Amino acid sequence: MTQNEIVTGVLVDEVTLTLEEAAQACGVEPQWIVERVEAGFLGDGSMQMTYWRFASHDLTRARRMRQLESAFDAVPELAALVVDLLEEVERLKRQVGSA
Amino acid sequence: MEFRDYYQILGVAKTATTDEVKKAYRRLARKYHPDVSKEPEAEKHMKEVNEANAVLSDPEKRAAYDQLGSRYRAGQEFQPPPDWDAGFEFSGPGPSPADDADFSDFFANLFGHTGRARHGADDFRMRGQDRHAKILIDLADTYHGATRTITLHVPQADEHGRVGVRAHTLHVRIPKGVKEGQHIRLSGQGSPGLGGSPAGDLFLEVQFAPDARYRIEGRDVFQTIPVTPWEAALGASIEAPTPSGPVQVKVPGGSQSGRKLRLKGRGIPGTPPGDLYLVLDVVLPPADSDKAREIYATMARELDFDPRGKMRE
Repeated sequence: MTQNEIVTGVLVDEVTLTLEEAAQACGVEPQWIVERVEAGFLGDGSMQMTYWRFASHDLTRARRMRQLESAFDAVPELAALVVDLLEEVERLKRQVGSA
Repeated sequence: MEFRDYYQILGVAKTATTDEVKKAYRRLARKYHPDVSKEPEAEKHMKEVNEANAVLSDPEKRAAYDQLGSRYRAGQEFQPPPDWDAGFEFSGPGPSPADDADFSDFFANLFGHTGRARHGADDFRMRGQDRHAKILIDLADTYHGATRTITLHVPQADEHGRVGVRAHTLHVRIPKGVKEGQHIRLSGQGSPGLGGSPAGDLFLEVQFAPDARYRIEGRDVFQTIPVTPWEAALGASIEAPTPSGPVQVKVPGGSQSGRKLRLKGRGIPGTPPGDLYLVLDVVLPPADSDKAREIYATMARELDFDPRGKMRE
């Protein structure tokens, strides 16, 4: 690739990630993702095992959970709770935004 | 390149046990956690702390670093001697202070490789790791599409497996209609693969640069628009600057501050596009001249208006 070439990516929400791709992107084994989807910590609860797809929000959420579990030895339930709270804080911050 | 004292970064003694390293890391990970920290440069500190932990919590890396580090102080000019890590075999998956796309030169030079690849196991194949970074864009960029340039410092091995740091500059097309928090996946722009395997991908998380003029909810955009008291009271056609360019807007008579004017489809582009809400902000002219004070005094005399009336009911 030349220095000035413009690279074009794909939006993860338009071409969602497979289970394996999501695991690779998070640096975890697919089973790590499966366990958290089955426990309801990831995904919207509607995923069928035969067709799991992951969008930007799932990716952000999974990476945050993995970081919390790894840094603090947090159990998945606690990591999910912290991520829920972080998301709520972000929502409230947006709500009290300037306009 | 400056030498980094990982013990100093974590605030532990060189004799610290694994438990003490872990405890120090957790304390700092909480202090500098980018999602909640109010510390200045929290993200930069968190990267340093992650790097320090990646080395000091790994017995092999720590032993190699200790052997090297005994001759250096923090901030001292540093180049790793040839074969500085001879006799050590790093078994981890290469550079991994989390999966940040931007390593310090120091970390990348020392640990930016896998030991197995460097020690000549030609038949070892592994796809490169995926990497993550954030990219800051303006709201206007998502209305029109844009190209943004980002530079990441990444380790790169030469044909002998020796690692250097390369500035990896990318000109990235920002697709029209991208929302905050979405990821742009750049195939093959992550860490290089080993043994001829493909490189990983680079995921760029989109963030909007803070802009006090706008509030964004999904694809809907809220923009405060100042109006004069007579425009709000009598109604007017005004020109409003919006992210997609100036538009003529009709302000209905009898409007108050906070009234929202919805401009359908003028939010962030998409299928369907979001809406743009102009939030009226009635701004009073200053009473800084005899004429202005006279007008306010006339209003006080002539208008039967009590904004606190309902509070007394």
